[in-house]
Amino acid sequence: MANNSPVVNANELKKIATGSSKLSVRKVKDRIFQSAVLLWFGIFSVIIIYPIIWLGLSGLKSNADFFLNTWSLPEEWLWGNYQAAWDAGIGQFFINSVFITVVSVVSVLLLGSMAAFGLSRFQFKGQNIFLVLILSGLMLSPQVSLIPLYKLLQAVGLYNTYWALILPYVAFQLPFAIFLMRSYFLSISKELEESAIIDGCNILQVYRHIILPLGKPIIASCALLTGMNVWNEFMFALVFVEDSSLRTIPVGLMNLRSQLNTNFGIQLAGLAISALPMIIAYIVFQRQFVRGLSAGSVKG
Amino acid sequence: MTKTFRNSRTAILFISPALLFILFFVFLPIVLNLYNSLFRWNSFEAGRVFVGFEYYGRLFKDPVFFTALKNNSLYAVISLIFQVGGGLIIAAILEDKLIRRFQPFFRTVFFIPSVISIAVVGLLWQLLYNPEVGLVNGMLKTIGQSEWALSWLGDSKTAIYAVVAVSQWQYTGYMTMLFLLALQKIPFEYYEAAMIDGASKIKTFFFITLPQMKEMILVGTVITVICAFKVFDEVYVMTNGGPGRSTEVLGTMLYRAAFRNDEMGYASTIGTIIFVITLTLSLIQLKLGKSGKEV
Amino acid sequence: MRMKLNVLLAVLLVFVLALTGCSSSSSSNEESGKVVLKFLHKWPQPEYAPYFEEVVKAFEKENPDIKIKMEAIADEPIKDKLRVILGGNEVPDIMFSWSGEFARKFVRADAALDLTPYLNEDTAWKNSFIPASLQPFTSNEKNYGIPLRFNGKFFVYNKKIFDKYQLKAPTTWDEFIQVLDTLKKGGETPIILGNQGPWAAIHYLTGLNQKMVAQDVRMKDYNPKTGEFTDPGYVKAMQMLADLNKKGYFMKNVNSSSHDMGQQLFAAGKGAIFYVELEEFATVENNMKGNWGFFPMPSIADGKGSQSFITGAPDGFIVSSKTKHPKEAIKFLKFLTSKENALKLVKQIGWPSPIDGATNPDTALKEVAEGVDYMKKAEGMAEWLDTDVHAKVADVYLSNIQLLLDGSKTPEEIIKEVQEVAKQVQSEVE
Repeated sequence: MANNSPVVNANELKKIATGSSKLSVRKVKDRIFQSAVLLWFGIFSVIIIYPIIWLGLSGLKSNADFFLNTWSLPEEWLWGNYQAAWDAGIGQFFINSVFITVVSVVSVLLLGSMAAFGLSRFQFKGQNIFLVLILSGLMLSPQVSLIPLYKLLQAVGLYNTYWALILPYVAFQLPFAIFLMRSYFLSISKELEESAIIDGCNILQVYRHIILPLGKPIIASCALLTGMNVWNEFMFALVFVEDSSLRTIPVGLMNLRSQLNTNFGIQLAGLAISALPMIIAYIVFQRQFVRGLSAGSVKG
Repeated sequence: MTKTFRNSRTAILFISPALLFILFFVFLPIVLNLYNSLFRWNSFEAGRVFVGFEYYGRLFKDPVFFTALKNNSLYAVISLIFQVGGGLIIAAILEDKLIRRFQPFFRTVFFIPSVISIAVVGLLWQLLYNPEVGLVNGMLKTIGQSEWALSWLGDSKTAIYAVVAVSQWQYTGYMTMLFLLALQKIPFEYYEAAMIDGASKIKTFFFITLPQMKEMILVGTVITVICAFKVFDEVYVMTNGGPGRSTEVLGTMLYRAAFRNDEMGYASTIGTIIFVITLTLSLIQLKLGKSGKEV
Repeated sequence: MRMKLNVLLAVLLVFVLALTGCSSSSSSNEESGKVVLKFLHKWPQPEYAPYFEEVVKAFEKENPDIKIKMEAIADEPIKDKLRVILGGNEVPDIMFSWSGEFARKFVRADAALDLTPYLNEDTAWKNSFIPASLQPFTSNEKNYGIPLRFNGKFFVYNKKIFDKYQLKAPTTWDEFIQVLDTLKKGGETPIILGNQGPWAAIHYLTGLNQKMVAQDVRMKDYNPKTGEFTDPGYVKAMQMLADLNKKGYFMKNVNSSSHDMGQQLFAAGKGAIFYVELEEFATVENNMKGNWGFFPMPSIADGKGSQSFITGAPDGFIVSSKTKHPKEAIKFLKFLTSKENALKLVKQIGWPSPIDGATNPDTALKEVAEGVDYMKKAEGMAEWLDTDVHAKVADVYLSNIQLLLDGSKTPEEIIKEVQEVAKQVQSEVE
């Protein structure tokens, strides 16, 4: 057998040998990494899931059970608590909350995406001033605006109407939404836009047909985040509206709380019911947060 | 270098509706607030007394103000580390191809706490922290660390940390979600190039991932800092500034002045200070981060 | 997605227009000829709200030309809402108020209507009240509020535990300490206290202050214009409270447990004594089913205040000075506090009524009736400290009481803070 044509050269054999051990070292490292991560994330998940389940179960307890056996399963499963919570604090206010939240969210998405578009796809002098102006809306504590806003709403005759809540909510949620959407729009490639304009699209069409679809993930998250804040908001809902026909859920839930006499089971049941729509909304919107939707269109 | 060629007029047209809303409903109260801070007044008395900058002077001499400032700053620093830093790392890990198939599960679980209203979160954690029946101490005792089983919310030394910890529990997943969105926008080609060059995971993270996410990271830090200085609900629900004044923050000081002590002028003063602090810090961050400019 | 968005928007637009139409009609104020009264109270809970709804309906039936728009907001939020709306032009005609300083600050701001002439012209109505229930709503000899409930604070005790150690309800503070000591030595938790909301311990301090400090001195100090708080009795009172905790007579970690938790602990027999208001007696009876008794705060031998006062206060309603319909408002208040409705209040909700004779063993728990009797016989009422002093002074007490109990602040340090704030307040109040 000649020296120069073995099936596998000795050196190559070595390379393959060390190559495969490199591969197995890499594999082991990966396994460790994966297990470590899964362990840690698993612990985090327990720290989160356990209290959530606790919330749901506590709604089924009586006061004595709640305070004396805080962490165990209910002694008696008082399903009636959920019914009582619905009747006293939620039922009649559900439509109001839904209406106000939906209108507020849609308005924020519309006005906010327009403003974010203007702030991210253009370069003009003073654009940063606009950004700061808008951002400063985030820096106002809602409590100090309670009295001025109250007087304002009375002066324009909107006090004690749906608009008394919708308008301030939109105004207070816009800054964050704009800031968020702008940061995402900034990362959308300019080539698409330019080719569209060369093809004869006007700005509005660019906005509607390119930016909005590409921005779906961030728009969906804005919808969710804005929705959450409006759904759970209490202060404005307490003060700007007084007819119980216009009340929202957070204020309705307050009905279940008192200084000396709260029925915690019913109250928690109410809070659990109130949290449910938001959790469902998240699961629905989640479908937007999938990689690949955006990457594809850039290449096209 | 691609130049955008539309004129500023179109841009302003797009921005105006939102801007008008904000100017009217938010800006007006800010200005009114500044004006109001120069008077002594409350909502049910007819007259108001002009006191000039007296309230500002009083604020700076008030030891509670400095406790509050310290607490708000603590909030900001800890939140930046856990929510922004932690959120980034978690997002990066979740995107890693080894973990990616678990992403939907963890992403959802981590996010859920932010959806729950503070009323529930506050009550939940008050019970978790209860020194006798709470799970926190229960856990500590089972793993043999009973000297650590303190009265978390009832002890002035630990209370503020206990409250801040709850915010991290609630919002880290929220930040993670935002960062995931930005991460997923990074074109795959960048990573391919890095892999070919044989870069390690950590190197890739620092030299490719982070710079591409600059804008979203900036959103994260600006929002976190603003919220840390505006924080009110979490503290109010869990400790109301107590025990003593150890967990007092600017937000609770403001609320108490306005709605318990009937000193709206003092409350307006605090509100103005919050505004000035958050404005300054945000401007600094935006400047340092060179927001809007290409990477 | 865009098509759906457009459709959604269109639908919403229609929805919005429709609903705006609905909501604006509900905010129209005067229906032709009818007088509309706005009535704000603090009991939206499903156990209490029906009472008010029924009374309002009955009133509207009897007075077809008066319509009542009622709003109910709970305890804490009502403090917020009151402060916001009082500055506007939608002030409720009749609104809830605690007695004492809380009501007096509205009086000082000219926001409350002087009710003295109305009470004086209907002496039957005036005399139907237990005098001690009207008094806390007065300022400068004039009446500004009408009480709806008349609460007193009493110690309730677990009979079984007391019998086990052959204990009787104490009448003096020394006897009280002996009882506590016996219980502690026997391994029981003597007193349950849930002070996560600091008002719980403030109620203790209310009685201690009143018993330790001479009445005229205390009244001068509680008045924002003349408050000094230099009497050593204030320090002694705080010391006594701190000592109770130091000697281990309170349960562990009082600052981390809420009053509600305390109620459950007491019900489960985990402690012998609990300090509650009359309105909680019904809950106690539910939980203990006869296995309980009660006694007022015992007398203190070296206390300079009157030892026959009871800690407690009425709460009820004031009328807005800006009301356009004072006569109708008074009519409603008279209806609300008529003997008939007072009996209904006691029977249906179990609250102690300030109407003489309404709270009797036929209508209420015998313990509640006995409690009201105690209050009738008492020389006076020691009103809740946090509603009887200026808000800023109350704030100092409230924020420090938890520190007093866990030993991180001494009574001397606290009273210094109180004195400083009292001085500040003096110069601010006209």
